[in-house]
Amino acid sequence: MNLVENPFKKIAIAVAFSPRCEALLAEAKQLQVKLGSQLVFIHIGKKTIHQEQYLKHLIHRFGLDANTNKIIWEEGETVETILTICQNESIDLLVAGALEKENLLKYFLGGVARKLSRKVKCSMLMLTEPNIHPTGFKHIVVEGSDHPKSEYTIATAIAIGKAYQAASLNIIQETDLSKMALIRHEELKEAEVEAIKEEFVKEEDLKLEEILKCNDCGGITVCTERIEGKPGYVISKFAREKQADLLVLNSPDKQMNLIDRVFPHDIEFALADLPCNLLIVQETQYTL
Amino acid sequence: MITLSHHELIKFIVCIGAMLIAARLVGEFFRKFKMPLIVGELIAGILLGPSFLGTYFPEISKWFFNGTGNVGIALNGLTSISVIMLLFVAGMEVELSLIRQQGAVAFKTSLVGLIIPLGLGYFFGRYFYELFGESNANNILPFSLFMGTAMAVSALPVIARTLMDLGLFRTRIGMIIIAAAMFDDLIGWLLFSVILGLLNKSAGGVDFVYTLGLTLMYAVGMLTVGRFLINKSLPWAEKNFTWPGGFLSISLGLAFLGAAFTEYAGIHAIFGAFIMGIAIGDSVHVTEKTRDIVHQFVTNIFAPLFFIAVGLKVNFIVNFDIKIVLIVLILAIVCKLVGAGLGALWGGLSKKEALAVGFGMNARGAMEIILATLALQANLIGEHLFVAIVVMAVVTSVMAGPMLQLLLNPSVNTLKNAFIDNNNPASQKSE
Repeated sequence: MNLVENPFKKIAIAVAFSPRCEALLAEAKQLQVKLGSQLVFIHIGKKTIHQEQYLKHLIHRFGLDANTNKIIWEEGETVETILTICQNESIDLLVAGALEKENLLKYFLGGVARKLSRKVKCSMLMLTEPNIHPTGFKHIVVEGSDHPKSEYTIATAIAIGKAYQAASLNIIQETDLSKMALIRHEELKEAEVEAIKEEFVKEEDLKLEEILKCNDCGGITVCTERIEGKPGYVISKFAREKQADLLVLNSPDKQMNLIDRVFPHDIEFALADLPCNLLIVQETQYTL
Repeated sequence: MITLSHHELIKFIVCIGAMLIAARLVGEFFRKFKMPLIVGELIAGILLGPSFLGTYFPEISKWFFNGTGNVGIALNGLTSISVIMLLFVAGMEVELSLIRQQGAVAFKTSLVGLIIPLGLGYFFGRYFYELFGESNANNILPFSLFMGTAMAVSALPVIARTLMDLGLFRTRIGMIIIAAAMFDDLIGWLLFSVILGLLNKSAGGVDFVYTLGLTLMYAVGMLTVGRFLINKSLPWAEKNFTWPGGFLSISLGLAFLGAAFTEYAGIHAIFGAFIMGIAIGDSVHVTEKTRDIVHQFVTNIFAPLFFIAVGLKVNFIVNFDIKIVLIVLILAIVCKLVGAGLGALWGGLSKKEALAVGFGMNARGAMEIILATLALQANLIGEHLFVAIVVMAVVTSVMAGPMLQLLLNPSVNTLKNAFIDNNNPASQKSE
């Protein structure tokens, strides 16, 4: 049995009429097919006949049923309007295209996708390279840190992995031992330090085992790995090195702002330079 | 160039050897009784210094540690280098993102935990300075500010170790205490540097506003742009230099340059090293192993030299005044318990937890001793008050563990329970 059977019943796609628009809709179609979700297409901007016809054409082309799916056109400030729509429509997952890396100024000021990811109250999927012929998520890397949110995040990643028939799913336990130096320089022997470290990780390992026991992983190869280093940074590095196509992270505990970029919050390491598609999991009231 | 003569060089080397071995032997003896190493290192200094050796074996003491001439200057230089390195390591322990992530509770705990000790310390320093055995009213402003700072600082390593022993290190309350102590350290050292700047100005040194401007520019610059540049450069250095040996040279080199800049700016060199420590320690490329090498190098060689030198400077027996010791001790405990405790209560913790936070933050340890030593060197405080502050630092550090043990039953505060607590929205009302 899975803790999460269908994580995203209602998915919103932020549509901008950019060159990647077609690819984004193709990805949306695949998400619908794999997860059986209802889609809501959101475009913020003035509704023109040309754009309306183009969007209808794309929806028809990708076989997205216009009766079950919804199109919302709104005018206003892009980020705030999308956030309001997500809340009003009880969206479970917001999907948007995002550049792998933005220039320094834009990163600090925040492009649309990154601004959304910092403020949105539902889960968010940022697609770095949406493809007109979606390849799906074959190699998934998921955060397995010692945090109350990890249980739901891992279950969500497993559900997606099963839906997409992923080949591998790596659960990464990031161990920040920087504070160990704080303790050990006082007066500890090497063996004592090792014992403390073991104690540190033992309880986390047990918790993770429990989480995995509660989830049916289907045919996915699930590997757990512990990496020492700064949380957020090491998992992004791992995802890049392993050429993962989806990185799944817990949502931050509170809304992010500029200070979290100056003194980076864990998730900001991933947002600064997206190693692959990024899914930030938020357990909303609608998903339960 | 003046060099040490053959005889002086032998004397200098013997001094260092004796200091290191004595610090380790006495430190290890006290470790057997679950006391911090620093207690033993201080007592080793007291034994080798004027308090014991100087009193009972004056000839031997004079040969070794008379503190005058070229050997005295060389030893003094070595202790200055030691304190710069200690502050650099202290800076590396500060994690800005942790302070940010712990949010409102840590900030409130820290803020009130700073303001109340600062206010009370300042008040007592300003209006009751005779109580501390001080009679010089000329430097009343820096002295009052120093008393405030002395009441406000905390000892991060002592706090971390105590929390670890009690199994509270990785719990929510543990992280709040750590983050608040980090913030206190940052503000405390900034303030102390300003006080030294004030002293410098009253001694006819660099203009105070100019000093303050340079200090702030350095601190803000290093913690933003400097930190960013260091983080970007480290992978290149790692690729091209031997590692982690290269890190040791580069990081300590930068620490000394930072220290030199703030010394030039008119505040003490320690502040430059402290800020550089934060900037370097925050990098994602500094691994636990690398960090540990720096810590081991500094805390096992330079920390003992510094702390033993504290005992060599002052006669602890003659200058021990029980009245001043008790006043300083009670004031320090009340300041932190009320300050940090009220801050934690304001942040949403229960009364018992708030009291535990107060006792946790009350540990002063090495940082307080460094602060007092620098104040003594700057003639800001007398030897009676210095001894009282050192005693207070040791007592507050030793009492933190038992008090936390008493207030928080660690068996119900394990990581697992913290995990469950975090799931409970009621327990997160302060977030």
